[in-house]
Amino acid sequence: MDCKHAHSLMHDYLDNELAPDQILLLKEHFAICPTCKEHYDQLERTELMLFGTKTQHLEPISGFVTANIMASLPKKAKQRVWLQWVKNHPAITVAAMFFMVMFISALSFWNQDRDLMVKGPDLDKLIIEGDKVIVPKGLSVAGDLTVQNGQAEVYGEVNGNLTVIDGSMNLASTAHISGQVTKIDEAMSWLWYRITHLFSEVSYR
Amino acid sequence: METRLALLARKGDQRAFAEIVELYKDKIFHLAYRMLNNRHEAEDVVQDTFLRVYKNLDRYDENQKFSTWIYRIGTNLCIDRLRKRKPTYSLDAEMNDQEGVDGYSILPSDDRTPESELLLSETQQLIRQAIESLPAKYKTVMVLRYLQDLSLQEISDVLDMPVTTIKTRVHRGREYLRKKLERKL
Ligand SMILES: [Zn+2]
Ligand SMILES: [Zn+2]
Repeated sequence: MDCKHAHSLMHDYLDNELAPDQILLLKEHFAICPTCKEHYDQLERTELMLFGTKTQHLEPISGFVTANIMASLPKKAKQRVWLQWVKNHPAITVAAMFFMVMFISALSFWNQDRDLMVKGPDLDKLIIEGDKVIVPKGLSVAGDLTVQNGQAEVYGEVNGNLTVIDGSMNLASTAHISGQVTKIDEAMSWLWYRITHLFSEVSYR
Repeated sequence: METRLALLARKGDQRAFAEIVELYKDKIFHLAYRMLNNRHEAEDVVQDTFLRVYKNLDRYDENQKFSTWIYRIGTNLCIDRLRKRKPTYSLDAEMNDQEGVDGYSILPSDDRTPESELLLSETQQLIRQAIESLPAKYKTVMVLRYLQDLSLQEISDVLDMPVTTIKTRVHRGREYLRKKLERKL
């Protein structure tokens, strides 16, 4: 092998692209040619120095962070952010939509119904005077009683929950209510009532 | 994985794009800094690179490695800047093995502070200057090969040139740097 051939092989060797038998030939040449050996050593050291600079620490100007780069991008995709979020969180989105629909319908419902409404069993045995709903003494209502836009006066028994919506309640000392007594007079709590009841209804079905 | 991020980003996923930025901003900064030897310009290149990537996500071919694509964009931006910098500078002028001209004087000075300069060893400074003095086409392959650790094949993909051309350039670049660094070797 002459020096010219050796020279081209040493670059291939540094590129890791030399076959083992050729590496052997190259090394044989190095053994008899100190000039090529020295040349190769210099190239190898050059390469090591180059690779060495890779680890050199380079500090970009402070604040050169991902957030800043992101902020510098055009805003055209901005409108799609919320849509993207919807795509990424389908369950939450459905829930949010559901609550929104609930909220709107519940609010309108709450605003619409200004008339007295009574819901429960044994309605015919209750005494209704104007907006006053009376559970007389000795009467036992066999279930939940709901009064909306009125005053509930209980002297007897309610074997269930008593709920008064947007009204007042008056429980006599003789009154006995086996379930929960709830008074709702704000749109938000009405909403909450609707939602919790809807869920319990759904879950019991 | 980057390909997946790119596809997500294409659909408008900002978080995926932020992850791409996080993965590549330092790499592109190093590449640009070594190519241009100027912090501000390097940062501009990083910004421009991500801007181009962002705008061209639709054109990204997912069969291609994402790293190749982003390196290509970054490298081209650097080369453009080098070209604008020295329109009459002959790329091969210094490859004639006649080192009479000191290449450093015609290059724009970096905005390095004297303090940061002190942190670099004399050898490291010498290497930096040697790389800086390389003609653009050799500088590009040397930076990609040694500072970004790309293989010859990868460089060939990035620059869209035959591997044999890349090999020749690496060989010549190596010889050039060896000569520049001779007194340190
Ligand atoms: Zn020889
Ligand atoms: Zn040589």
